[in-house]
Order: sequence, then C-alpha cells, then structure tokens
Amino acid sequence: MIKHIVRKEFTDMVRDGRFRWCAALVGALLLVSLGHGWIQARQAQEELAAAQATARDHWESQGEKNPHSAAHYGIYAFKPRLALSFVDEGVDPYTGTSVWLEAHRQNEFLMRPAQDATAAQRVGALTAAQVLQNLVPLLVILLTFGALAGEREQGTLRQLLATGIGRRELAVGKAMGVAGALALLLVPAAVVGAAALVIGSSGPAASSLARGAVLAGVYLAYFAAFVGLGLAVSAWARSARTALVVLVGVWVVNGLVAPRAAVDLSKWIHPTPSAVEFAQTLEREMAAGVEGISRPDRAAFGQRLLAEFGVERAEDLPVNEVGLYLQESEEFGNRIFDRNYGALWDTFERQGLVHEALAVAAPLLAVRTLSMGLAGTDVEQHRHFATAAETYRRDLMRQMNGDLAENSRTGELYTAGPELWAEVPPLQYDAPTLGWVLENRLLSLLVLGLWLVGAVLLAARRVRLAEVA
Amino acid sequence: MSEVMTMDAPSASAVAASAPVLEARGLSKRYGDVEAVSSLDLRVGPSEIYCLLGPNGAGKTTTIHLFLGFLEPTAGSVRVMGLDVAAEPLESKRRLAYVPEQVMLYRNLSGLENLEYFAALGGRGSLAPDRLTDILVGAGLPPDAVGQRVSEYSKGMRQKVGIAIAIAKEAGALLLDEPTSGLDPKASNEFSELLERLRGRGVAVLMATHDLFRAKETGTRVGIMRHGRLVNEMSTDEIGHADLERIYLEHMHE
Repeated sequence: MIKHIVRKEFTDMVRDGRFRWCAALVGALLLVSLGHGWIQARQAQEELAAAQATARDHWESQGEKNPHSAAHYGIYAFKPRLALSFVDEGVDPYTGTSVWLEAHRQNEFLMRPAQDATAAQRVGALTAAQVLQNLVPLLVILLTFGALAGEREQGTLRQLLATGIGRRELAVGKAMGVAGALALLLVPAAVVGAAALVIGSSGPAASSLARGAVLAGVYLAYFAAFVGLGLAVSAWARSARTALVVLVGVWVVNGLVAPRAAVDLSKWIHPTPSAVEFAQTLEREMAAGVEGISRPDRAAFGQRLLAEFGVERAEDLPVNEVGLYLQESEEFGNRIFDRNYGALWDTFERQGLVHEALAVAAPLLAVRTLSMGLAGTDVEQHRHFATAAETYRRDLMRQMNGDLAENSRTGELYTAGPELWAEVPPLQYDAPTLGWVLENRLLSLLVLGLWLVGAVLLAARRVRLAEVA
Repeated sequence: MSEVMTMDAPSASAVAASAPVLEARGLSKRYGDVEAVSSLDLRVGPSEIYCLLGPNGAGKTTTIHLFLGFLEPTAGSVRVMGLDVAAEPLESKRRLAYVPEQVMLYRNLSGLENLEYFAALGGRGSLAPDRLTDILVGAGLPPDAVGQRVSEYSKGMRQKVGIAIAIAKEAGALLLDEPTSGLDPKASNEFSELLERLRGRGVAVLMATHDLFRAKETGTRVGIMRHGRLVNEMSTDEIGHADLERIYLEHMHE
C-alpha cells in the first residue's frame, strides 16, 4: 500500500515544474558549493604544504646565532585540514589556520580569510554546509506544506481516506515520497562528495569516509525532522497557505534568527573580553605578574643559582645563567598564558554548551555544531590544535634555552648552528578522532535526536487528528 | 459502462428482509447548539438504492461523512456490512466506495494513473492497465482522454473518473454525494443505468441528492431529511413523480 503512495507522491512531485526548478537550483548550488569547497581545500592543502616546507627551510637555514635569538626568529605552525573540511569550513575563516610560534608570546592565529574579506564576500561565500543547512530544508518545506493541507483544500483527502487507507500509512508514504524526491539531488551530491573525500584524503580514506557517513547521517536526521515538521504543520493547518506561512516562519527562526540569537545569548551569559581588553590584560600581567604568579626577579634568581651550585660568581657556574633565567621567564609567561588563555577557552567552551543547549529551539544549531565538528573546523578542534601548537612552542623554547644554558657559560658569546635547528622536530599533529568528536558533541547528537523523534511523534499525532474537510 | 455485470434486481420485500449493508441507529451529530443529524435510523439493504433528499443543511452530507467515519457521532452508531465504523474505521471504509459532489483528482497524473492509484489504495492493486482503461471508458470517459493529465479535464470528466474509482473498488456499498453534479443529461442518464446495474450485483447505494426526478427514477426508496431529521421515508414503487414533489414541498414548508 505504501509503495503506491510513494510512487504517486514521487511522480506528482517530479512532474511539478515548481519542484523541478527548485530542485535543479538547490542541486546546482550544492554541486557548485561542493566543487568550489573542494578546489579551495585542495589549494589550501597545497599552500599549506608549500608554506610548511618554506617555514621549515627558513628555520633550518637561519644560520649561526644564539639559540634564544633563534627562539625569537620563530617558526610557523599550520593547522592541517581534514578532507571533509571542503563541506564545512566552520570557524576556520574567522580563527585562521596558522600560528607564529616565538619566544615569550602565545600568538593569536593568522591567515584569517574573513579578516581580509569584504562584507559582500562574507555574505556571498556559499558552502555546501550552508546549502544543506538552509536551502534543503526550504525545499523540504516546499515539498511538504501541501501534503495534507493541500489535499484537504483540493478535496482529494476525503477521497483518499475513503479508500480505507490508514492515516499512518498515508503519512509514511508521503514522507517516503518526499525522501525519494530529495534523493534525486542528494544522492548525486553524496556520490560526488564521497569521491572527493577519497581523492582529497591525505590520511586513510576509510577514516574520512567514516566521518562522511556520520555527517550524512546527521544531515539525513535533520531533513527527516523537517519532513516530520512539514507533515505535522500541513496536517494541522486549515489551508496550504497557512501551512506554508508557518513553515517558512519556522525556517526563518531556525536559519536566520536562532544562530544570531544563540551567539548573542551565549555571549551574554558567558561574556568574553574584547581582543583589545584581552591583549591589555596579558600585557599588564606579563609586566607585573599577578596574585600567585610573580615575575622572576633576575637578581634573586642569580643568587639562588649561585647558592645551588655553591659558587660566588655567575661566570663560575657550570651553566649559562642567562639561558636558565630565560627559561624561568618562559615558565612565568606560560603560567600567565595558561591562566588567561585557559579562562578564555573555558569561556568559549561554556558559550559552546549554551549554544548546543539552545538547539532545542532550532535544530540548525545542533546540526551546525555537528557538521563543523565532523569536518574538523569547530572551535573545539581549533583549541585542540592551538594547544598542540603551544605545547610545541614551549618545547621549542625549552630546547633553545636549554641549549644555551648547557652549552655555554654566563657572559660567553654563544652561537648554535644548523645542527641544532635540524634537531628540532617538526610539529607532529594528530587531529582528534571521530570518537573524540562524537564524545564531545553528545549534547548536539542528543538534541538532534530529540528533534527527529519529536517531529515524527508530532507528525503522527497531527496526521491522526487531521480534519478531512 | 458495459463492464458491470447485469443481474435481475431483487424485489423491495426481499431487500427489506435481508441484513442491512448500511445501517444508522439513533445517529446524531451535534456542532455546538446545532444538531446536524438527529436520532437518525436508516437501513439500506443489498440491491437497494436509497436516495436522501433534502435542502442544503438538512444533514445529508453529514450522514454520508458519518458513514465514512470522517466525523464522530455525538450519539448512536453507524455500521457498514455489520462493522461498527467507530470501532473498525479502516475495515468499514474498505467495504465502501464513495463519490463526492465534486470529484477532485491529482492534476499532474492522468485519469488512468489517478484510477490506478485510488484502486490500489482501495485494495485493487492488481488491476491491469487495460482493465482500468475499460472501467474509465465504461464510466463514460472518452478513450483519448484516459492518458491525458487531469489538469486538462472538465468537471464532468473528473466526475466520471470518480465514478470509475467507485466501480473499480467493487465495494458492497456505495455512498454518493450529489454524484451527477456537473454531468450533462446524457451522462446523468448513463450514470442512472450504471447504478441500476450495480444494484443488480447486490450493491447497496446511499445517494444524497437534490434531484427529485432522478431520485424517483433511480432510487428504490427515498428519505426526506430536514433539520437533521428523517421526516419521511417511502418506496419509489408506491408513489409517482408528482406525489414525491408534493410530499417533499410539504415537508419543506412545515
């Protein structure tokens, strides 16, 4: 019985010129955005590889110099992109993908495309994620708003129900018919996406495909929730026009109002300092220290060192006092950074939790979080890389200051050469696994699941109660 | 309409003695203060064509919708071939065919595809396209219109597809709500002949209509409804056209 409904719904839709035009438009946008994203990701990957090689070359060929000068010379660290990032570039355009690692400073990320983009470019940048998150639901709305309200308005609903077909079967058939019509544009996009993942994957393709499969599941759940919602509203509304107005209202709230409101609300509940305020606080604390973290006193440090080694003059120390003091200063700076960046990241995390919880009002928020997470472009994974880069920076500084301290004496002019620079290993960064992402995004998964179940139950209830005429 | 087998119709007395196919007992439907149907007792047996007459708002369509389970009775019960509509809404509907006053179809599908769809949902999923075409043509649809999209159909053509849908279901009971609305006189006559043939097959027909002439010509019994009540019921064998018109008007002027 259901297969007849599915076939009829599918035929009816594909013969409808409005659907053909809308589906062609959304399908074209999806394929173009996928293609564009993939080309951009490839270019970024090539640029990253070239930049990494150049940065390494610069580091190794900096010539003879004091190791601490080399620490100030610094090195770039680049955040590797996951293959799936061509679907959803997430926060990368805003946070940047490279960081300059140098002595005494925990720098902010660089290469932020959004920073240099014009306002028009920011609005006009269409990603596959945006098409999937905003335009496909709009298409679902166009396919479902008349499902029952339209049939009731036209008078076909009473003839349909007079055949003895159950309302549940009718609703399931209609939902599957919509799914079939959507498959016309989503299946080719999924095939293109999977092929792009396999070709563009720098690591094992299976890992990228597993992430892609979960991402596909997330989007399917999102679309299914919209199908349920569309059927529920269509069953409830007195006319197709009312159903359309209500559903477009839901779409506006979900896609336009909720994301902005969620950002503002999460920032209001957990405020973060402005970039200027943050920089000023860091500068102040680095200069004078803060309660519990005192800036090391050079003279006191020297006295302590002399006492420790049982000598009277710094020149008699078996180590270079300067190297040790510089490292002591680094450790002081690290505590200040940990205190300030830690608090900042924790605030971001709390904002993220509020954002995730607000998805109960708009499923897009859950989908967006999951989509960015699976694409490796969310704030959490930015933090994960930033932490790894900072650990690398600290190890680098420790190595440079240690070399200075151990291989020279206080007051001596000391230089190191290419051998030392080559000893510094390149940053080996392992991006979080799929399991890590899912574990960190359980709340979004749960809320999306609730939306799906809620929409299905609501549709079942409204279809059961729907008036025939 | 040659696909319907012709049989001799049973007599009115035989009908009265047999178990009812359609039955309403103490049926009432109230909307706030308005009683759309009030304490209606109605029985339609096999091979009987029962015509419900009455002005707009008399409760005819409400009665049909109660038989279809589209509305829940305020009191009383409705049975189709012995099945309580409230308790077994789907099973009872599967034993019914229904033609509304304005048959509405899916505009993007052809007449044949519409019939195939409704027949499949009505439990006749195995009908071959040739058989479906025969039913459509038999219901009066021009052969060259069978494959055309319904968006190109006139109201009369849609009505004929609606009748074909009812025929294809091969149900034991037929509910008709002003079924000849939009049909030209020739098509209306053909429809009356079709009903007669269905009666010959033992089908019970309940038809709401304003058309006194056709009720007398086609029906075996007529019931007159006013303000939701069945105010008169008579066999068409017992009265002439003029009598029916007179009785009807008397009730309308009460």
